[in-house]
Amino acid sequence: MDDLAAPANGPNRRDLLKGAAASFILPFAVSFAPRRAEAAATPVQIGAFIRIDETNTVTLSIGSTEMGQGIMTGLAQLVAEQLQVNWSQMRGEHAIGGSGAGNPYANPLFHAQITGGSTSMMGWYNPMRTAAATVRDMLIQAAAQQTNTTGWKLGTGGTVTNGTTTLTFAAVAATAASVSGLPAPVLATTTKFVGQRMPRLDIPAKVNGSAVFGMDVQVPGMVFASVVHCPTIGGTVGATPAKPSRPGVLGVINLGNAVAVIATNTWTAIKGASDIERNVSWVLPADTSRMDSASLGATAQNLLTSASSGSVYVAEASGTPTLAGAAKTFDQTYKLPFLAHACMEVMNCTASVTADRCEIWAPTQGQEFIIPAAAAACGLSNDKVVLHTTYLGGGFGRKIESDYVLQAVQCSKQLGVPVKLIWSREQDFQNDRFRPSALIRVQAGLDASNNMTALIYRNVSPSIKLQRGPSSVSNPEDTGAVAGAKGLPYSIGARQIEHVALPTDIPLGYWRSVGESYNTFAVESAIDELAKLAVINPLNFRRDRLTDPRAKGVLTAVETLSGWKNLPPTGYQRGVAFLKGFGSYVAMVAEVGKTSTGTIRVSKIYVAVDCGVVVNPDQVEAQMQGGIAHGLAAAMWHQATFVAGVPQVRNFNNYPYLKLQTMPTVLIKLVASTAAPGGVGETAVPVVAPAVANAWAKLTNTRLRSLPFYPGTTMGGL
Amino acid sequence: MPTYTLNVNGVNRTVSVPEASMPLLWVLRDFMGFTGAKYGCGIEVCGACTVIMDNQREHACKVDVSSAVGKKILTVEGLSGDVDGAKAQAAWVTNQVPQCGFCQPGMLTATTAAMKAGHHGSEIAPEIKHICVCGTYPRINKALGGL
Repeated sequence: MDDLAAPANGPNRRDLLKGAAASFILPFAVSFAPRRAEAAATPVQIGAFIRIDETNTVTLSIGSTEMGQGIMTGLAQLVAEQLQVNWSQMRGEHAIGGSGAGNPYANPLFHAQITGGSTSMMGWYNPMRTAAATVRDMLIQAAAQQTNTTGWKLGTGGTVTNGTTTLTFAAVAATAASVSGLPAPVLATTTKFVGQRMPRLDIPAKVNGSAVFGMDVQVPGMVFASVVHCPTIGGTVGATPAKPSRPGVLGVINLGNAVAVIATNTWTAIKGASDIERNVSWVLPADTSRMDSASLGATAQNLLTSASSGSVYVAEASGTPTLAGAAKTFDQTYKLPFLAHACMEVMNCTASVTADRCEIWAPTQGQEFIIPAAAAACGLSNDKVVLHTTYLGGGFGRKIESDYVLQAVQCSKQLGVPVKLIWSREQDFQNDRFRPSALIRVQAGLDASNNMTALIYRNVSPSIKLQRGPSSVSNPEDTGAVAGAKGLPYSIGARQIEHVALPTDIPLGYWRSVGESYNTFAVESAIDELAKLAVINPLNFRRDRLTDPRAKGVLTAVETLSGWKNLPPTGYQRGVAFLKGFGSYVAMVAEVGKTSTGTIRVSKIYVAVDCGVVVNPDQVEAQMQGGIAHGLAAAMWHQATFVAGVPQVRNFNNYPYLKLQTMPTVLIKLVASTAAPGGVGETAVPVVAPAVANAWAKLTNTRLRSLPFYPGTTMGGL
Repeated sequence: MPTYTLNVNGVNRTVSVPEASMPLLWVLRDFMGFTGAKYGCGIEVCGACTVIMDNQREHACKVDVSSAVGKKILTVEGLSGDVDGAKAQAAWVTNQVPQCGFCQPGMLTATTAAMKAGHHGSEIAPEIKHICVCGTYPRINKALGGL
């Protein structure tokens, strides 16, 4: 999502409040100004983000999507700090989705309401604190106006006080909502909530079954739909098939590239879609060679060695890197597969389309894109689209797409009733937007003192930017494709970082940690191989070639945490990997041995992270644990393959994940920092594979340069 | 349409469904409004659909509705009223287990069923082979340790 990461020009306070006024009809008109303190009768919205109800509960509406990363809680901590409420008073909810200019819920980093790139805390840290402090000042001013006295300040537990009288927020909220003209607020810098392990606001609902995920939405009068796409990517429906003769089936809808079966319940819809899969007269794409793993592999190999200069994007060049004259030279190639997202919650959406309104309930990371797309599909203006964001059963970048949402919209538009549309797991795997494959050649040189003198780096991988771009060009200048390779903090000498777009029609998407997910494997494996060539401890080799104290700091922290200087347990070895990315620094050590069958066993993973100011240490740790689980499963087993345009992965039985029994022990060190918050959702993922490969090389003297370590259906390891 | 009376979380309810072979999962979700049990894979690999039937854990995506008649069905929505279930839920909160939360109803019902079988603490972990893509396993292990 690097393309979306525009310069950080967050909205100022005035913009935030202007946006609020435009987006909300305040429950109380400006003329409503009670002369005495009294509890508000109904919830009062103050600005875009904060609502106060009669019980003095403070509800935060967030524009970022809560998909497991804990952002709802983290942002609520920022608000609670400015308002000095009790944590039990705080609630969180997803704001109504917005799109385009003036949307107060757009991530201030890129002025779009999307959740991705580990940017939610980065983007909202200052704007949310400012918004909350503004509301605080409005509440204080409201108390002064209501009582016609001065000397009011913030109290505790959701109150304002003048020393003798204390009023609840609820008592002054209605007045506060129309306060204007205040000077810019002074931000509280206390740490009652920020930096603390506050319990997540969403967890109670997630342990009692009441949390509403997309697939749990219930709308009166709704029917159910499931889809079957052409088994070959890019195929279309030749003729609308007859509806399957199964009790409960209501009809079929031709969606162009898929058929939706409408039924009285989800199961009948899924079974009906499966019934007709073979009966649909699919129109197959003429050429599937660009969607075939074997053909793509051969093309990538060609481009690696002999791409024409016009098709090479030189993302970074410094000096004239050459291996000539180097004391030691290095030249290796790394290979990574396409990957599926495999969110636990399959793609689904509920839509209710009428002549003048389109209401959507969706598990989405991409509100910004859904609204105009749905409006266009319905022939309505954007303001007629009402988008509710549900909890997401995993997102990982897949749910930033609009495809599944538009299918529900199309069905409801055609039927005139609300439709809940759910994909089967098989459809979900086969119709993913896949993480691009990558074939990466790394050439480097060391001088007689083992200084790096040159780095020539070429990555051949399909370009997300090219596929989504307005035109087909050979050199899309895809900065996302070189993320994790461009701007490396190591002292390298002369360097040239290149990307060559591998032409493919396989639908591509943003997968947790995007470019870093493949480039970091090549970079951190190669650095380790260079350390071996130099006969230098790989942790020291890295640290000695870094100058940034935060980069050196995480390496030193993981060195201590892992006992790097001590011998590992008998039969085990340790490998290290480092990443500066997503505004953070991470260093990881994997402790690796062998299983009884001689495959990789990862017993422990140590990780040190410097993500700037930590809002909730418990949630940073959760993202480290989760990123490790995600990255390790991908490194061990995951690959999406294609035969003549047909995706081969269909379910979790050939795309396995870690289990309770195979999860390594994870030990985490958060490095204290006063820097601006960085991202943590993706940061741990890219370093897992190289840390494990580096440990395995030390243990066995065998270098693994191809992911996954155990491809195919015979799953080994752990 | 076939009609069945099911006992879910202690309450009998009668539903009519299109086919007798419909799995319990979808009867719970689409006909009775119990959306806590989730659809994840449909092939008994992920465990997200797990419910408890007569104290045994079952994959609701594979149990025909007809074979659930006469059984006491416990879903995540009913765990707070169950002594073991409530303990498991409390451990999940204490250890701040869920991330996205989608797989947790299955984890919690499977844990509760293990407790009902007389298993405790670290005895439970080897029995739970569910998938959590978020990777909450370290916290699940900690939560199980106190049960």
